[in-house]
Amino acid sequence: MDAVTRIQQIGMPRRNNELWTFFPVAKIPNVLSADGDCRVANAPRNDKQESLDFSKENDFAALLPLAKNARTMVKAIPEGANEMAMLKCNDDFGHTVLDIGKGAHVSLEILDNKVQHEIVAERFDISVGEGADVEIFFANPASALPLRFRHFRITQAANSTVRFSNILTDSGIGRISMDCDLNGEGASFDYRSLSILDNTASMHQRLTIRHNAPNTVSTQLARNLLSGSAYASYDGMVIVGEKCTKVNSGQLVNTILLSENASVSVKPVLKIYHDDVECTHGNTVGELDAEQMFYLVSRGIPKEAAKKMLMASFAKETFYPLPETPAKKRLLQTLSV
Amino acid sequence: MLSIKDLKASIEDGTQILKGINLEVKPGEVHAIMGPNGSGKSTLSKVIAGHPAYKVDGGSVELDGKNLLEMEINERANSGLFISTQYPTEIPGVNNVEFLKMALNSKRAYLGLPEIGDEEFKKFCEEKMQLLEMDERYRERGVNDGMSGGEKKRNEILQMAILDPKVSFLDETDSGLDIDALRIVANGINHIMSPEKAVILVTHYQRLLDYIKPTYVHVLRHGKIILSGGPELALKLEEQGYDWIEE
Ligand SMILES: Nc1ncnc2c1ncn2[C@@H]1O[C@H](COP(=O)(O)OP(=O)(O)O)[C@@H](O)[C@H]1O
Ligand SMILES: [Mg+2]
Repeated sequence: MDAVTRIQQIGMPRRNNELWTFFPVAKIPNVLSADGDCRVANAPRNDKQESLDFSKENDFAALLPLAKNARTMVKAIPEGANEMAMLKCNDDFGHTVLDIGKGAHVSLEILDNKVQHEIVAERFDISVGEGADVEIFFANPASALPLRFRHFRITQAANSTVRFSNILTDSGIGRISMDCDLNGEGASFDYRSLSILDNTASMHQRLTIRHNAPNTVSTQLARNLLSGSAYASYDGMVIVGEKCTKVNSGQLVNTILLSENASVSVKPVLKIYHDDVECTHGNTVGELDAEQMFYLVSRGIPKEAAKKMLMASFAKETFYPLPETPAKKRLLQTLSV
Repeated sequence: MLSIKDLKASIEDGTQILKGINLEVKPGEVHAIMGPNGSGKSTLSKVIAGHPAYKVDGGSVELDGKNLLEMEINERANSGLFISTQYPTEIPGVNNVEFLKMALNSKRAYLGLPEIGDEEFKKFCEEKMQLLEMDERYRERGVNDGMSGGEKKRNEILQMAILDPKVSFLDETDSGLDIDALRIVANGINHIMSPEKAVILVTHYQRLLDYIKPTYVHVLRHGKIILSGGPELALKLEEQGYDWIEE
């Protein structure tokens, strides 16, 4: 089944669809009808798509790029390879298929599309081979795109590691969606995200992590620094399958509200079909620590500068636990300017 | 140089903690403030610093003729006031050295001086760290992050050494220090001290005053200074406690 047919089946996103609970769905133009705000490129028909079956895909954002004839870029990283790469899509709609071989070490930075239209949607299908170590990250400069979707489908084989880290500073409406399947024993997935939003920006993250094998680990940390009337949401679901013993999963969302009109929504969902698992989730919302502010200011540092120091510290802490790799370097560098 | 007159202050629920404090501190003097727990010693330091948890009900605090109570918190510091609180706050994500540099440059900016460069600051900071026998680890850590009580106190004196304040108010800086650390910290304070500066020490112990000889010793109780004397008063307090003093 192709993507257009599937969108017709599931319909446009609605608030009562559990995948879209917090998203301002009214802002999404009807991509199936007239051209409207949403450009339909005269891109050549995508051959790769013919072979793909989307009949089980439920997330509109995962279907959109393909429904819009995104060109598919296929990249295979051979077994044992050591690769640093940058991915960039040159169109409003993009589709990247990455096949990462066994034991490969990959550092992958995703750059923004150059085009500026009303809506941009990208999809990434990433399959990670046994024992591979992969980091995927993006920390692009703030974009003013009105609407941006980025969808990831990651499948991990045994003993593979994926670290997925991002900094989100866009001024429009954005959504990161992720379906991660930990299919092999010993696989681990680490998600870290920092949203620094101001004005009317709204950023939404929706993750589904499926622990389909024993001894799998997933961690999620999302931090939000919200000013103006910014709005962030985090919808994280962890599913632990029936025979999956010794699973460890943690989810933590920390938000600092810097203004009265900023807000955050968090929805953690755990579906566990086994006893022998350890799953935690936490959610904190607060302001900058008053005692820390006092300490800095009482040493002569002006209030605004002290605020910035505390915000920067809150932001940087998101990525401190990462190993010393290009991702960590780049993410922290972005935060120190 | 520091003149506190009839200072009254209360906490949020309206309870008055400071009930009319008077204290005149002149250049070159060391004042020790003693008194039972809960008397208001820490409150006094925080009210002078401008901590938002306290409301000033009356009185004045002047530093070289300028009313501190009307200044922003950072201006007080930049005018030459240094307050070391009893329990220094931990700020894990802010690097200690960057913090020190930021604080020094804030003061310099306030005084119309140019920023101190990285190299120059590094040398300057190194000198002060040697004075306080602090090892390199203090550089990499976050402000007071995971430090023991004693390490925090030493870090406070490092800040004092770098900011070179006119008046320092050190709240129980000697608590939690072992004998070696006490000697180092006291030497540090003596080193920073000069005839143009003044220090107020809150302490429960004579042992600090063996190193730093006070000009005056005051007893603060129930929000008031109820007795003042010379260094001999501290010795008497250590022997006899506070109960013999009539309020
Ligand atoms: N922020 C505050 N909130 C509530 N009570 C306070 C606060 N600060 C001080 N107090 C109270 O004021 C009194 C004096 O405290 P403090 O100044 O810490 O005394 P000392 O330092 O002399 O031991 C105590 O009873 C204490 O509980
Ligand atoms: Mg105290």
